[in-house]
Amino acid sequence: MSRASNNSGLKQGVIDGLPLLGGYIPVAISFGVIAVQAGFSTLEATLISVFIYAGASQFLLVAMVAAGSPLWLAVCMNLLVNVRHVVYGPNLVPYLTQSKAWPYLMHGLTDQIFALAHTRLPQLDDSKKVEWFKGVSMVAWLSWILGTAIGGVAGESLTQQWPVLDSVMPFALPALFLVLLAPKFSNKRWCATLLVTITMALVIALGPFKNAAIPFAALCGALTFYVLTSHIERKQSHAN
Amino acid sequence: MQTETWIAITVAAIGTYALRVGPLLWTQRHFNKHKADNTEARLPTWLSVLGPLMIAAMLGASLIPKAPSGASWVATAVGAFVTALVWRKYRSLGLPVFCGVLSFGLAFVLLA
Repeated sequence: MSRASNNSGLKQGVIDGLPLLGGYIPVAISFGVIAVQAGFSTLEATLISVFIYAGASQFLLVAMVAAGSPLWLAVCMNLLVNVRHVVYGPNLVPYLTQSKAWPYLMHGLTDQIFALAHTRLPQLDDSKKVEWFKGVSMVAWLSWILGTAIGGVAGESLTQQWPVLDSVMPFALPALFLVLLAPKFSNKRWCATLLVTITMALVIALGPFKNAAIPFAALCGALTFYVLTSHIERKQSHAN
Repeated sequence: MQTETWIAITVAAIGTYALRVGPLLWTQRHFNKHKADNTEARLPTWLSVLGPLMIAAMLGASLIPKAPSGASWVATAVGAFVTALVWRKYRSLGLPVFCGVLSFGLAFVLLA
């Protein structure tokens, strides 16, 4: 990927965040529709998006509350779905500055923002990093909130009017992940590891345990990486 | 909405934020301690390997079309191929994503 340009950090962040709109807005509209159908008002659905701001777990929480599940169980399941976030922050630390703003900005650390930040932050000057993160996460957060509100007010008629857009726009997310991951396909070990991870996630997500797809596939990938690494090391020690 | 439901949503929101910020603060403290001791801090290998793998897993899970059908799967393959091709040529972020979505949309409409 090209090095970050001469734009200000905030502007660069906003530009880098634009591809997220294609994925975030249709999903947020769906969330707004489902939350209203489940008995939440548009304001309540929007506030959930403001404060929880974690896609899949919001759907799960709303569905469980609507189904009359015990609230403690709904909260536990919500946190279980979000537990994958614990590896995101530490992976960004080597690229962060000493600014005190980072902990506050972590509310915006979604899957997609992590993927973007993990690739972009190492390329940015230290002076631009906080502003870049503010720009990219504001685009994502505001689009998620706006999408939820639109979904609550007029989502059903919108998706009925433009069903093709509803199906096409979400492709922005896999396209973005592919671009972010492409530089990692640099050697045989990483190629094999990434292909195993992608395939495992795809297969698991097609089954009934969709929410387990990301952490489980990542663990399978890690196992592949270690098996290949130890195989290479063994081969090297034999050669010596 | 009932007060108990709001309490549950508040706990879920605080818990989600804690999952995002807690590990970051802990790792920052670990790095700062090494800095003060003039030693180099490094992430454990397993943790630094997990970063790209989480992105790969997100890619795999997000490849499933919203409305799975023969046409949408072929469109997904076309979109992924075009995205990779444009990235290879331009090594940028926005253009490959734009071309990928456009080609996915065209293939989806033509095949549906």
